[in-house]
Amino acid sequence: MKNEHEMRVGFAGDNRKIKVDVPEGDLTPWDLDTKLESVGGRSDRIDAFAKVTGRAKYAYDINLPGMLHGIILRSPHPRGSVKSVDLSKTLDMPGVKAAVVMKQGERNRIRYVGDPVAAIAADTLDQARDALSAIVAEYEIEAHNVELLAAEGAPNLNENNISDPWPVPRPAARRRPADPDMELEVSEADVSAEGTWSMEVQTHSSLESHGNVVWYKKETDSAEIWASTQATFGARQALASALDIPQDRVTVRAEFVGGGFGSKFTPGEEGMACALLSKQANAPVKLMLDRFEEHTCTGNRPSAVIQIRAGAKKDGTVVAWDTRSFGGPGCNGRGGSTSHHTNYFDNAKHRRIHVDLATDTDASRAMRAPGRPQGVFAMEGMMDILAAKCGLDPLAFRLLNDNSELRKAEWQLGAEKFGWAEHYNASPGSGEDPRYLRGAGMASAFWGGMGGGKHRVTCRIHRDGSVESRNGAQDIGTGMKTLMAMLTAEELGISPEQIRVSMGNTNDPPGPASGGSTTTPSLSPAVRHAAGLAKQELGAKVAERLQVDANKIIWQNGHIGLQGGEMIPFQEACKLIGAEPIEATGIRQANYDGYQDNVCGCQFAAVRVDRETGLVLVEKMLGVQDCGLVINQKLAESQVIGAMIEGISYVLHEQRIMDPKQGRMLNGDFANYKIAGTLDMPEMEAIMYSVANGKNNVGAAGLGEPPSTAAPAAVANAVSNALGLPMRSMPITPDKVLAALHSKKK
Amino acid sequence: MHSFELFLPDNIKDASLRGGPNAVFKAAGTDLLDRLKERIENPETLINLLEFKKDLAGINPQAGGFDIGSLTSIHDIASSASLAGPEWRALKQAAETTATPQIRNRGTLGGNLLQKTRCWYLRSEAFKCLHGGRGPSCLAVDGENRYHSVMGTLDCMRVHPSNLAPALYVLGAELSTQSGEESNRFPIAELYPELPLASEAEHTLSDNEILTHIHIPAAVTGTSTAYVESREKLSFDWATTAAAVLLVMKGKAILSGRICLGAVAPNPIPCDQAAEMLAGQDASMELFGKVAAAAYAKAVPLAQNEYKIELGKAVLRDALAQASGLR
Ligand SMILES: Cc1cc2nc3c(=O)[nH]c(=O)nc-3n(C[C@H](O)[C@H](O)[C@H](O)COP(=O)(O)OP(=O)(O)OC[C@H]3O[C@@H](n4cnc5c(N)ncnc54)[C@H](O)[C@@H]3O)c2cc1C
Ligand code: SF4
Repeated sequence: MKNEHEMRVGFAGDNRKIKVDVPEGDLTPWDLDTKLESVGGRSDRIDAFAKVTGRAKYAYDINLPGMLHGIILRSPHPRGSVKSVDLSKTLDMPGVKAAVVMKQGERNRIRYVGDPVAAIAADTLDQARDALSAIVAEYEIEAHNVELLAAEGAPNLNENNISDPWPVPRPAARRRPADPDMELEVSEADVSAEGTWSMEVQTHSSLESHGNVVWYKKETDSAEIWASTQATFGARQALASALDIPQDRVTVRAEFVGGGFGSKFTPGEEGMACALLSKQANAPVKLMLDRFEEHTCTGNRPSAVIQIRAGAKKDGTVVAWDTRSFGGPGCNGRGGSTSHHTNYFDNAKHRRIHVDLATDTDASRAMRAPGRPQGVFAMEGMMDILAAKCGLDPLAFRLLNDNSELRKAEWQLGAEKFGWAEHYNASPGSGEDPRYLRGAGMASAFWGGMGGGKHRVTCRIHRDGSVESRNGAQDIGTGMKTLMAMLTAEELGISPEQIRVSMGNTNDPPGPASGGSTTTPSLSPAVRHAAGLAKQELGAKVAERLQVDANKIIWQNGHIGLQGGEMIPFQEACKLIGAEPIEATGIRQANYDGYQDNVCGCQFAAVRVDRETGLVLVEKMLGVQDCGLVINQKLAESQVIGAMIEGISYVLHEQRIMDPKQGRMLNGDFANYKIAGTLDMPEMEAIMYSVANGKNNVGAAGLGEPPSTAAPAAVANAVSNALGLPMRSMPITPDKVLAALHSKKK
Repeated sequence: MHSFELFLPDNIKDASLRGGPNAVFKAAGTDLLDRLKERIENPETLINLLEFKKDLAGINPQAGGFDIGSLTSIHDIASSASLAGPEWRALKQAAETTATPQIRNRGTLGGNLLQKTRCWYLRSEAFKCLHGGRGPSCLAVDGENRYHSVMGTLDCMRVHPSNLAPALYVLGAELSTQSGEESNRFPIAELYPELPLASEAEHTLSDNEILTHIHIPAAVTGTSTAYVESREKLSFDWATTAAAVLLVMKGKAILSGRICLGAVAPNPIPCDQAAEMLAGQDASMELFGKVAAAAYAKAVPLAQNEYKIELGKAVLRDALAQASGLR
């Protein structure tokens, strides 16, 4: 059964009433006309204090009596197979308690340096490491290649230009949409341009490495697990299967997770190894990866080469957009796709072809908006090139072509707050300052992230007035726990500090894996629903006490009672509850049709380039971003600012550097893998653009990924503006900047 | 790391007597521990010099210059009020740009001068190169060498990693060491091998010789110094090139100068010929451009590091401009 409900949706510039079908039992959805108390505020994270004081316990921090330490023997060769593994000597080494082979039988292929071969557990980590050298592994080594452009099927790049006729894609390549004659479309445009963009592998670099503490208990044939994971329930399923015990006997805990960015959806081979070692030793085993393993064995954002040909009419209207890309997803040979939104050329002829090229390197994994920052870097670069050819300012060119009304409003707001006119270098490549060149750039964001799934949340209200909100999924740092407190508080008319939130324990109700920017939009409606149902039960008790009809009861300023009559404080009302608390289970209902299914955003960057040393410093950055209903301003802004920080680091510094001969990463540590630090940070501002999307009873949308799609492109365009030359290869390191400055002098 | 014995000496002499081929001195350990953890060095004994830190830490005025204890932290040098003047500025700037606040707080001046090269082949257990003593050849020469030597015509393309060494070169520093009862004093240039071959250790101290003091002589009137480095980011990065300079000025005129380059060759590179071009000239960017060109006249890039030559020149011009007051 569904009830038709009218609600006001949209944003300041475009708000209207629509009718949505609200499922039976759901709460009345919030909309633009709803007045909210806690929600929309700037509360601190409820676990901020625990985190900054070190009281928060991550999987890495778990130490148990009798715990062993696991370690993995990894292949030093990039390609081949394992002929044999002999563990006999290892088992005699001091402290060694368990050992397992991870490559045998059919599954003996070696696909990259770091591919797991065997694992052992010993009393101390040093004993385990010593014992590694006693494992006798024999390999059959094959010739390898770790370089994208040396892979089979790689394009023949000629000085970064598309010189060949546009090559015909291999049959395996995917075409989207169906293939118009793009060659013709581009050549017939008034203005056309083409170019090649390239980017390196970026590693996730989560502060907490991958791994688990697995405690298998033989007496009960059960296991307790502490995992650094983005998916507690997925981890339970995979590890129960590795331990070969029923899932109901496995508890996975991930109360705090030190970052994942897409690389921690499964327990991985390190999780399997840890489970097997624990079972063999009948003891708790901790197996957390070290930093080199983290850089080389847990996935990455793939490298790519993207080529674009595009054309526009004289007035600036884009008429053709043809993209082909080559992705370097490593040994899997798939998953390296790059992508972009089509808001600028939905009405033009456009096409996207992608080909993945396999190399003998660690397989790529999802990383914060997989494929997007890469695709947007190239697309927005091309937008600026075309704008210049049409004689238009980058902002005017985008306002002309962007078909999102929401983003147009954001462009205008952002440009004004940022001071676009003042920072944009109208004579690119020159400036009065003898030392520094300056410029500005912009880029668009786009994402889905409306959430879904049949997740459940428990809300309990106790006789003493304490309130719990519980879900078994993880808060990987996005602040979901804080949002649960705020949403519950809002519904009950009390303050968020009164709510105790529990996340990251699979004994609590099921919740989603944290990916695709869906945790907040997926869980929030269930959190609110649970609180709403608990509220109804408490309301009923108050009604009984006041001897009135339950539908007469109102909730106001932390009091419950009758309009104009007796109002009981929440705390007092709870005394009507017996020893058994009120417990309600909220359910995530399917999304309504709503107002829109995506989020937009835009970012602006201003940079300073040292003409002599080629060093780029970002001086200022601003992001405008929508994400449906903003539940907590501060947390939302921090996602946007975090995305800008990550984007600056990616576009200017980060790259995996491989030794081609040994096929091994050379900068697999934080001393040599360069990540932007505090001194490299600009003045940053995030403006949240609130939109009532009418998708569910809360209307929140995902925010983790959208802002990260724009940041690298905005900075790259700013550098290009400063230099008066398109910078099409990231990271934009000083050597590349100096080479660009040189090419201009010639 | 492998297990080792930790020896806690009471004084310099005890420490030195315990030195030998299988023992290694440890100051703060910020460099040493990385090497031990990577198992590229596996000593039997660690001799902890910090046991007598109070005897060897501090910046003491001495005859118009300074005696600096080898265990003085880099932070203490960076924040020293005594070293704030233009005549010592190069040392302070070199210290300020070193590493991270945490490393500067712990790491010592002595350890900074004696740290091992950062060559990524040498620093990894998995790679076996000539200088690491485990392989037949240099892996960088036709490998990944974007950060390597541009002055290397020898068999090892490493670069010298210390920020502070070039600054101490131009300041004319001398070093004191102690081996057992015996002490020794010599110019800083003698700390590094004359011909930095792969087979040579990166410094010339014997295995029972402890660096105790760094002496900085008094400055001539009109002395002004500067240290500038290029890097890829501002928060914690090793220099891609570096230059320390000392000028003795009278008004706009340069009476004499000294130049030392860092991070471009296996040793700090004093450039006496280029520095001579400064004597008797008025400070100008044009002059500094010529001097920088001369300093890098003999540079030979590897496949990936030609950019360092241009950068190195820019950094040297900048250092000269700062020292002369042009910038
Ligand atoms: C992350 C990081 C970043 C860094 N960045 C920079 C940088 O930008 N610029 C730069 O110049 N340096 C940099 N360094 C190097 C840093 O300055 C050194 O690690 C530090 O100064 C070493 O001092 P220590 O006291 O820890 O030496 P230790 O690690 O204890 O010793 C280093 C070496 O010197 C020997 N030694 C130390 N003291 C004595 C003594 N008194 N007598 C004889 N032998 C001795 C030891 O045997 C050892 O071989 C960086 C280091 C790290 C870890
Ligand atoms: S530069 Fe020197 S340290 Fe580096 S690989 Fe070559 S020989 Fe080894």
